[in-house]
Amino acid sequence: MEAMAESDDVCDRLLERVSRGDRAALGELFASEAGRLIAIARRILRRPDLAEEVVQESFLAAWRNAASFDARRGHARAWLTTIVKNRALNLVRDGGRLELMDDKALAGFKERASDADNAFDALSEGDALRHCLEQLEPQRRRCILLAYVVGYSHGEIAADIKAPVGTVKAWIRRGTIALQECLS
Amino acid sequence: MRTDGASRARIGDYLLGLMDDGERQTFEADMAADPDLAAATARFAKRLSSLDATAAEAAVPEGMWDRITARLDETPQTLPAKKIEKLSPSRRLMPMALAASLLVGVALGYGASLLMPAQQQPVVIVVLNTPDNQPGAVFEAFADNSVRIVPLESFAVPEGKVMQVWTLYDKAVGPVSLGTLQRSDVVTLGGQDFPRPAADQLYEITLEQAPGSPTGKPTGPILVKGFARTPAG
Repeated sequence: MEAMAESDDVCDRLLERVSRGDRAALGELFASEAGRLIAIARRILRRPDLAEEVVQESFLAAWRNAASFDARRGHARAWLTTIVKNRALNLVRDGGRLELMDDKALAGFKERASDADNAFDALSEGDALRHCLEQLEPQRRRCILLAYVVGYSHGEIAADIKAPVGTVKAWIRRGTIALQECLS
Repeated sequence: MRTDGASRARIGDYLLGLMDDGERQTFEADMAADPDLAAATARFAKRLSSLDATAAEAAVPEGMWDRITARLDETPQTLPAKKIEKLSPSRRLMPMALAASLLVGVALGYGASLLMPAQQQPVVIVVLNTPDNQPGAVFEAFADNSVRIVPLESFAVPEGKVMQVWTLYDKAVGPVSLGTLQRSDVVTLGGQDFPRPAADQLYEITLEQAPGSPTGKPTGPILVKGFARTPAG
């Protein structure tokens, strides 16, 4: 956790320099964050080329909009992650690009649900998030993980766990409320 | 600070990527106006980020950074709203003011193309409602992001305060300032180098400390708020 807090501060300072037109700072931010961000985008998009494209466009968006980043409202790393995730989600929900997938890629895309389980299993034992997720009913936990980790929509989650969309929405709502209460 | 269940449910849907564009823009505008909501969201986001951290770092393809640097020249940086504020304060379109704004725009090279808005067609129209759901203002926004504002209600602006006009064209950017107003007059705010206004884009007016929000983001109460519509026909 300490290492993470440290890199949070480093990234905040880099983004502040980026906002003043410092290209070297953008380069340092890229060197430190690109691999992590591609991995996050790949969980949602599966196709490495699309994940890389999303991250590339996200760094250009970060360059363009660095001045609007407000360090008092969260860290630069979280800000970058949000940009990448939103762009990946837009691409996957838009769907047009994914029709170009071949059969192998499509099979991988359908299997992305297993990444959600793997992410949960990989949480460290001491992580409060792991402890609080464990308190949830397994079905509700799965709904939350499928949405957050691999970017499933309500409809995709409903199909995966074979429950009505309305039920999924209610479970997620109650689940995220319970999680926040457990974590606070 | 306590966060109620309804807010927590929205925070969850937001961070899980389960909101549609309209819901997300409304939520982000609410966060911009409510520091407690923004702080609660940031706290939960930080906790959830442990899940992101479990992804094994991917290899970064060679040449990716070069492709980014090759495009930086053609990617202008947005100025912070605070700086823009000082350059294009709201005013009625008088010839002197127009000339001054044009000079500033050209000098900064951020393309404030102040064509006479009257000769342009608006690309979107926005009916902005007060918090009690009454129409309070109508905006016509043009391709260059100049905005003609027609107040339908007269808002009281206390001494030391201004009305500040915002739009949210990209949730990743957050709300950006389009200028400030002293009174409820029909007025046209100058163009700015943001993406062309689009349907469903959020516009709002908040009450801020003069000469404008100290943070460059909305901090005061929302006077009116609405989503853009494209004119039919």
